[in-house]
Amino acid sequence: MQSQTETKAGKVLSKNEKWELIKKRIKKNKLIYLMILPGLLYFFVYKYIPMYGLIISFQDYKPYQGIMGSQWVGLEHFKRLFADPDFWMIFKNTLVLFGLQLIIFFPVPIILSLMLNEVRSMPLKRSVQTLIYIPHFMSWVIIVSITYVLLTMDGGIVNGLLQQAGFQEVNFLLNPDWFRPMYILQVIWREAGWGTIIFLAAIAAVDAQLYEAAKIDGAGRFRQMWHITLPAIKGVIVILLILKIGDVLELGFEHVYLLLNSSNREVAEIFDTYVYTAGLKQGQFSYSTAVGFFKGLVGLVLVVIANWLAKKAGEEGVY
Amino acid sequence: MKMKRTAVAFCLIGLVSEACSNNNESASNEEGNEGGGGSGTIEIMSNLHTPEVPEPFIEEKVEEQTGADLSINWVPDNNYNDRLNTAFSTGTLPDVVYVNFNHFNQFKDAIRDDQFWEVGPYLDEYENLSKLKDNVLDNSRVDGKLYTIYQGRPLSRQGLIYRKDWAEQLGLDGPPETTEEFFEYAKAFTEQDPDQDGQDDTIGLTDREDLVYGAFKTVSSWFGTPNDWGVQDGEIRPEFMFPEYVDTMKFFRRLHENGYINQDFPVTSKSDQQDMFKNGTAGLYVGSMGDVGTLYNDAENINPDVEYDVHNRVKGPDGEYGIWSIPGFGSLQLFPKSAVETEQELRKILDFFDKLMTRETANLISWGIKGEHYTVEDGKAVMTEDSQKFDREVKPYQSLEIGEPATNGSYQLKAEYAPKAKSEELNIDNEDFLIEDPTLTLDSETDLQKGTRLQQGINDATYNFILGELDEEGFEQAVQTWRNNGGDQIIKEYTEAYQELQ
Repeated sequence: MQSQTETKAGKVLSKNEKWELIKKRIKKNKLIYLMILPGLLYFFVYKYIPMYGLIISFQDYKPYQGIMGSQWVGLEHFKRLFADPDFWMIFKNTLVLFGLQLIIFFPVPIILSLMLNEVRSMPLKRSVQTLIYIPHFMSWVIIVSITYVLLTMDGGIVNGLLQQAGFQEVNFLLNPDWFRPMYILQVIWREAGWGTIIFLAAIAAVDAQLYEAAKIDGAGRFRQMWHITLPAIKGVIVILLILKIGDVLELGFEHVYLLLNSSNREVAEIFDTYVYTAGLKQGQFSYSTAVGFFKGLVGLVLVVIANWLAKKAGEEGVY
Repeated sequence: MKMKRTAVAFCLIGLVSEACSNNNESASNEEGNEGGGGSGTIEIMSNLHTPEVPEPFIEEKVEEQTGADLSINWVPDNNYNDRLNTAFSTGTLPDVVYVNFNHFNQFKDAIRDDQFWEVGPYLDEYENLSKLKDNVLDNSRVDGKLYTIYQGRPLSRQGLIYRKDWAEQLGLDGPPETTEEFFEYAKAFTEQDPDQDGQDDTIGLTDREDLVYGAFKTVSSWFGTPNDWGVQDGEIRPEFMFPEYVDTMKFFRRLHENGYINQDFPVTSKSDQQDMFKNGTAGLYVGSMGDVGTLYNDAENINPDVEYDVHNRVKGPDGEYGIWSIPGFGSLQLFPKSAVETEQELRKILDFFDKLMTRETANLISWGIKGEHYTVEDGKAVMTEDSQKFDREVKPYQSLEIGEPATNGSYQLKAEYAPKAKSEELNIDNEDFLIEDPTLTLDSETDLQKGTRLQQGINDATYNFILGELDEEGFEQAVQTWRNNGGDQIIKEYTEAYQELQ
């Protein structure tokens, strides 16, 4: 509370006095500032210094000429990206997969942790929790391979069963319509369990008295969940949601690249895979960087919008 | 709370830059100098074709014989090109770089910028290096100058491996001589129960997600399609603008429609493809004929009665033979000036490679130690039966080979398994009807920039045509898209370069 009044007072202070105030505050809390130093240093060294490399997206970068020696080409690489006939397709695919992650995947861990919270037998709850964490530690290569073995038309189990049950065989792997369901189901299978950790922690922190009071008022299990548990963890949900939106960049290159093939490219090509085939494979460093840069900007814009919306709705937001 | 928020905000901004952080390492040339230069060690980066790094036994022997001190950086072949790009972009290339032949074009820019030693003038001074074949060296010249030596490979090893026992069972007479007969084989192998188990569980051809080293390109040369690029009316045009290419697609479409080829071939891996051939699911395999040896080793364990045979001469509808070829080298060796600083050092390295081309050392890296890894019969090398030992100790070093048996004097393989021996003969027979890529020594800046991506559009259309998702008109459109987005420019650039040479 105190710090807030100080800040407000700061508005009428002159620049010099403000600086004095900041110095005084740092002195007072020097231990706390010392504690954030490693974190700040980390972000500076690993996130800010590399940004220097963005320069090459405005150059015709030749490795042997270095960043200082390479020729400047202005926005040439960005023009090439926007002029690429596949640009809108890739843009759309990236956003659609992102939307699927947000709308279909994101609620799953919440529902799962609410359900786990209702399990009364401790040993059962623990073992279920452990079991649903396990897929998180499997690499995408394994998950995609398992899917392939199950779904292939050349002797896959699923198609075998379909055939025996008298249905038509389905070409899951090559049909573009099946790419998105396959993608999101794999994400849910691998990550849903892992995602429950934070929500379960938040649920554990809810005051038990609230439940007791609700029970006395005659609220059943479902009412308790709806009126106590969910509102209590709403803040956590919103923050995680905004952070997730920042991850629009991280759809998982490895995952999508493994699923990608010639017949589903129209729905499966995203920026990450495009950077790989159009840029890195051909040694086009500047162009790859330009595409990555653009993708980063899209992510930034989305986060800013989401944060603004969250604040509008009366939530905390991340900054 | 406020502090936490600040940290999160930092974190988000950080994410933005992450995508680019891989490329920003300083690229100054100085970095590559350490280790390579004055110390006398020759640093080499080369492809590793086995799962594990070899035991250093052979390397020590080579050092003994050549008097050089080696340091070999083995990089798995799967991501060799990526690693090479990274080493190049970070200025950490070693003294000697092995570059895959299909990756060489990416280095031409840097070569023209004088980043690599021109070795042409030196080769004649060395007894063995001067033996390297001129017609092969010519394929790697840049603006008429020679910057590389090469690792020789047969011009074409492509052909057919098939189940001879199945063919005999079904009364099919000899190997397929024409593409139509090939189709009949695929049909019979699928429909007539060649394994006699009363079940409908076999197919004809097994293929994989690779239009080049899988079956497609080889079958397309049977049809007479040019090798990547062809010449028509004095103009260089891509293979897919030729009617033979479309005929090949139709051929595969027929195979696919009828179920004579594995239905999921556009997503099938090489090991799955080969498994289908080994375990008796499929009876036709199109690719490198020499693979018959390793295929048989595994297949024999599953079914001791399996009989394979190899075949190369398959006529297209026009009654002619044809097979696509590589330039005669598997990889090229470049010598970066960033690591090899003086002419003296370059001479030292060339001297090493000269010695590597002596009969004794060439045999050492190809076959290992006489009596331990191989024996000699009829002037040919017979490999030890312990193929695991061979793979572990010798095989990786084969990728260091310079030249080919004809120039470095190493033994040819004497295969115990007859079809394997036959495949060696057919490799030579292939040389009678090779289809060469006319753009080998030509340059197109647009192709370098956009080629891979554009080609992907064509590959996708090819697969979709075969799968029946696209009709001929749709394929025409894909070609038109290719042309509009840079293809026409590529054609123009290659054609100009081609006419200059005429």
